[in-house]
Formats: sequence, C-alpha cells, structure tokens
Amino acid sequence: MDHRAAFFLAAAIVCFLLVPVSNGYAWVSAGVGSVYVLLALASWLDARSQRRI
Amino acid sequence: MQAPVVFVIAVALAFDFVNGFHDAANSIATVVSTRVLSPRIAVIWAAFFNFAAFLVFGDEVASTIAKDVVLQNVLSIGVVFAGLVGAILWDLITFWFGLPTSSSHALVGGMAGAAVAKAGFGVLIGEGLRKIGIFIILSPLVGLAIGLLLTVAIFWAFHRYRSIERLNRGFRTGQLASAAAFSLGHGANDAQKTMGVILALLIASGHAASDASTPLWVVLSAHTAIGLGTLTGGWRIVKTMGSKITRLQPAGGVAAESGAALTLFATSASGIPVSTTHTITGAIVGVGAARRLSAVRWGVAGRVVWAWILTIPGAFVIAWSTFLVVDALS
Repeated sequence: MDHRAAFFLAAAIVCFLLVPVSNGYAWVSAGVGSVYVLLALASWLDARSQRRI
Repeated sequence: MQAPVVFVIAVALAFDFVNGFHDAANSIATVVSTRVLSPRIAVIWAAFFNFAAFLVFGDEVASTIAKDVVLQNVLSIGVVFAGLVGAILWDLITFWFGLPTSSSHALVGGMAGAAVAKAGFGVLIGEGLRKIGIFIILSPLVGLAIGLLLTVAIFWAFHRYRSIERLNRGFRTGQLASAAAFSLGHGANDAQKTMGVILALLIASGHAASDASTPLWVVLSAHTAIGLGTLTGGWRIVKTMGSKITRLQPAGGVAAESGAALTLFATSASGIPVSTTHTITGAIVGVGAARRLSAVRWGVAGRVVWAWILTIPGAFVIAWSTFLVVDALS
C-alpha cells in the first residue's frame, strides 16, 4: 500500500474512534472518517495505475 | 464598573490583539508566499475582514467559551485574569519559537488552569471540554480533506489549460477572495473567544445576567482589537506557514484558504471554538498531499503537532501558577 493511502486510512481510523465519544457531533466524525476511507481508496487506485504505466 | 473589571477587560482585549498578531500569519501566509499581495497590503486586507466578521456571524462561540468550559459560579476577576495571563504568555513563548500554535486552545487551557487552581478539577465542564477536544482533532482533518479535494478538483478542471501564466494570474485574483473569506472566518471564530471571556467576566462581576447575550460594545471592541493585532502582523510564523510546510502555488493557496474558510464558517455557525491555526495548517498539508506525501515537510508539520499537544497543558500550568500568585497577593 502506498504511503498516502496508509495516511488517509490512519486518519479514517482516528475519526471512527472519535464517533463513540462525539455525542451530538458523531455524524461529523463518521462523515469525515468516510471521506478519508474514499480518499484512501482513490489514492491506492491512483498509485496502482501509476505503477502499471 | 469597578477598576479591576475594567483592567481585566483591557487584558482580554490585549489577548485579542496578541491573537490577531500571532494568527495574522494564518490569514496572509499563503497570499504573501505566492506573491499575490505585498506583506503590508496583505495585513490591511486581513485586518479589514477580521473586523467585518461581526456583521456576518452571531455569538455562539462566545457563549461556549463563557458558559461551557468551567462552572460559572467559580469564575471571578482573579480566575479570568490568571486564565488570560496563561494564554498570553503561552502565545508569546510559542511566537518566540516561530510555532503556529492555537491561541484558542491556550485560552481554554488558561481558563481551565485558573479555575482548577481556585476550586479543583470538579469545576471543569466535561461536556464542553469534550466538544472542544474532539474538534482539536477533527478541525485539521476536515481542513486537510477539503484542501485536498479542492486541489484535485482544480487539477481536473484546468489540466488541459495550456497558458500557465494566465491561469496563475486568475488564481492570484481568486486568492484575494479566498484570503478574505479565511480572514472573515478567523475574525468570527477568534474574536468571539475574547467576547466569551469578557462576557464571563461581566457575568462573574454582576454586570450581566447569567443568560445574557454578548453586548454590542463587547462585540465591536473584540473585533477592533483582533483587527489591530492582525494589522501589526507576525512575520516569524508567516515563514513557517507560507513556505516551510509545503511550497504553495496560487491555485494551492486558493484551495487551502477556501478549505479552511469553509471549516471555520461551519464551526462558527455551530458554536464550536476551533483553532484557525489547526485548520489552515491541515488545509496546507492537504494541498501538498494532493501532489504526493513527500511534498509535505513532515518534520515541520510534526513540530507543529507537538506544539498543539503541549498548548492546553502549557497554558493550564501558567494560568494555575498565576492564579496562586494573584490569590496570595490579594
């Protein structure tokens, strides 16, 4: 896995860990976490396609 | 109004001035580093929008600072004074070392330290501190994500464009708007913290009811103080923010400032006191990470993170000691 995807995945995990303690703002933590999961996936696909080129 | 109350209000406005001085870099670093504006014009631009923020935003953040950090019955002139001293000294120490730390979290740490020195840990409001703590982590991540997504969107929209010179000219103009938006968000979120401290002081000294909203003279004086502080500028931190974290082009400047401004608008409207420093730093890292992770100078970014971690405990300890001295003297 490329470093950028790993970084985004770590950020997503941090956000999801915050969900149980976020009370009224749990949706913010969950939403930001989901965005980072998508970014990790996009970054991994980007690195994969660049390796093939 | 008694002399001690007037004196502590003056100290609160001095904190606001230092906040503008310290955080001026956040508003103008990207426009200065991309040479869109000269440093002198950039600080005037930022100071104007810092002041104008009072026309746009309410006082939700002020209310959180005044009522959600420590129990109101423990607030006294001495506690507010010691809290402010803790925040101001911490800001000045980190300014000396060129670290872009959060004045907001210094203020929260300072108020908490002084209140704990007076009446123990039971006076802290867990729910309010938890909300602030969660957004210490979330605000830079939100800024990073928006900064990165905007950078990618700009790359996609303009990748076929051949005239780089003309494109850069367009983004330079765009940066005027994004810097103004960021300064507006900065003025809204940060001036409100001082408004919150003054409101807490007015409630503690019996000059306002416990459910009072912020008086207009407090709103205007807080925005004036932060605007004047920004006008005075802070060049040490401009250097760290503008070029040491990652090299910025005008398009990246637009993405970083817009990402941070959007985060500040949303949090200010929700009454969440976030750090403008955290938010813009996250957004700048996001712009660098859109290219590749190695475009971000992680050593500098790591130093900034350490300063963040130490801010609340640092201001807490200074305010705690200051309160003990003030209490002994009085």
